[in-house]
Amino acid sequence: MREVYLDYQSAKPVDPRVIEEMMPYFHDLFGNPSSLHKVGDVATDALEQSRKRIAKFINADDDEILFTSGATESSNMALIGYALKNKKKGNHIVISEVEHISIHNIAKYLVSLGFEVSTVPVDQFGRVRVEKLERRLTDKTILISVGYASNEIGTVQPIAEIGKLAKERNIAFHTDAVAAEGLIDLDVERDNIDLMSLSSNDIYGPKGVGVLYMKKGYRINPLIIGGGQERGLRSGTENMPGIVGMSAAADIMAKEMPSEVERFRGYRDKAITHILEDVPDSHLNGHPTERLASNAHFRFDGIEGEGMLLSLKDLGVSVSTGSACTSKTLEPSHTLIATGLVHEEAHGSLQLSFGRFNIDSDVDRAIETIPQIVARLRGLSPIYVARRR
Amino acid sequence: MKSTQYSKKVLDHFRNPRNVGTLEGDDVAVGKVGNPICGDLMEVFIKVKDDRIVDAKFMTFGCGSAIATSSMTTELVKGMTLEQAMEVTREDVASELEGLPPIKMHCSNLAADALHEAIKRYRARMTGEVIPGEETQAGGAECAIGKENYLGKGVYLSVTNPEDFKEKRVLVVHTGDKSLETAIELSKHTGRVVLLTPDAQIRTNTKLKEDLEASGIKILYGSKLLEIRGQDEVEKVLVHNLNEDEKYDLFVDAVVLID
Repeated sequence: MREVYLDYQSAKPVDPRVIEEMMPYFHDLFGNPSSLHKVGDVATDALEQSRKRIAKFINADDDEILFTSGATESSNMALIGYALKNKKKGNHIVISEVEHISIHNIAKYLVSLGFEVSTVPVDQFGRVRVEKLERRLTDKTILISVGYASNEIGTVQPIAEIGKLAKERNIAFHTDAVAAEGLIDLDVERDNIDLMSLSSNDIYGPKGVGVLYMKKGYRINPLIIGGGQERGLRSGTENMPGIVGMSAAADIMAKEMPSEVERFRGYRDKAITHILEDVPDSHLNGHPTERLASNAHFRFDGIEGEGMLLSLKDLGVSVSTGSACTSKTLEPSHTLIATGLVHEEAHGSLQLSFGRFNIDSDVDRAIETIPQIVARLRGLSPIYVARRR
Repeated sequence: MKSTQYSKKVLDHFRNPRNVGTLEGDDVAVGKVGNPICGDLMEVFIKVKDDRIVDAKFMTFGCGSAIATSSMTTELVKGMTLEQAMEVTREDVASELEGLPPIKMHCSNLAADALHEAIKRYRARMTGEVIPGEETQAGGAECAIGKENYLGKGVYLSVTNPEDFKEKRVLVVHTGDKSLETAIELSKHTGRVVLLTPDAQIRTNTKLKEDLEASGIKILYGSKLLEIRGQDEVEKVLVHNLNEDEKYDLFVDAVVLID
């Protein structure tokens, strides 16, 4: 039986067309862009060509693109690098409750360096209310960081509104756009974004590559010091196969996104409609309409997510859960808690995320298997039985 | 080791749990441990004859290892004397299952504790000892910090216009039947009403009880409101879970405190 992978938000396979473009850069075109000979020139051309392709993908200029080892590094540069460079202007940073865990941990680190961080709460759908964000801005605020969309519950944030507010208040605006990549048309001009983190794998490129977009005129302290690559802001010999791969992935994505998003939306809506209908006491987490086309996130009363995950694994279906029992810290998802759920509710969550290599029958498998396993686990659950009594 | 990297035996007991169910009768005792807030809640039932466990069953809310350890514990103790069963430890259960991931040893390996609890309760009943029940003192959240500061900013002492609560997450503190009626009314206007009560169950008339069950209101038992927080308006509350003596944040948009 076909293994059904419905966890595209965790990892994506590299598109075979991307691999094909990358291959020459491992052996034949192995040069270092810093070298001045012919071999080096070929690498330089490839590097700058890649920069152009990424810039086009997000409506930026070439010299606003910095290659990194991934979105986590990009976000470290955007928050720590920007805060350190601009600390004379102020020491206050605003993030949201539903940021990716990496942003929360970077913020904690900045607090240890003496910066102040305010966290904006979200509504029951996981959406930032701009007026609540505005209330937290002070004359010491130098940076706002709000993720474009939640990688967990799929809620899309009012990014253009936040960008406009940041511009009016002359505060830098960073967004971690990883969850939205390939699902929403990214345009840094339209949305007034000053700093943006991107990942290669999230557009079906190789892991280990990412981009920090930084608008002209903005400055950061480098976090990796060395030979001065990437204008001295990110040293280290460029990962050429990776960089070429990411830019090839961006080109393919730009062409295929509209039809792909339509297809995912079909899967998503089918899954949501059927599962909410077929499973009693089930709920949708996240926003009913302002959500990523690929994301369906459920909550089932009276059971725990790891049990669901293991049962689905037995049936050849891969999904993820916000349950604490599968996390490194044994804490439930902070995003689900931020939407107003209590721990026991967060434990019963299940996330489906669709992607490029799903086929129509994959969503049918999810719709068939999930109600069965929920029923089985509820048969064992004292909480659910107590409610039924 | 990943938290879900389980032995074959754990997976077997998870997939085909033995002895699922409940037992009833004068010769039956039940031990409950865990808390759904932590993600695990187990009930182990034992049936005793001549000081020997003749049957054991369980019900468990929890992860894979919580279910497997419950199943294994009930298998292990059938036929044991109460004395022998008292000596079964978490480690015994884990080793019968060919080990558990280290992170799971404590959080979800509670079935032995539930078993011991059941034995204690059985013995106490035989000797006529009074077992501490689940009753707790009633009482509202009159001392919640911040109540005055947020009046008109998300704290309501009465509800006159339930439509104002549309799409809001509302916390209602159980202070009597009036608060229950208000919570039920609010649940018709917003999808999220949480009812907080210090008690282990809601004591009220049958009609209200039925309405409450049908309303989809999330009830947090054994819980007290400690503090109301937010920037210029209610944004979250600090809740004290009395059973676990744990405090945690709950994100809400409004708090209803009816005297």
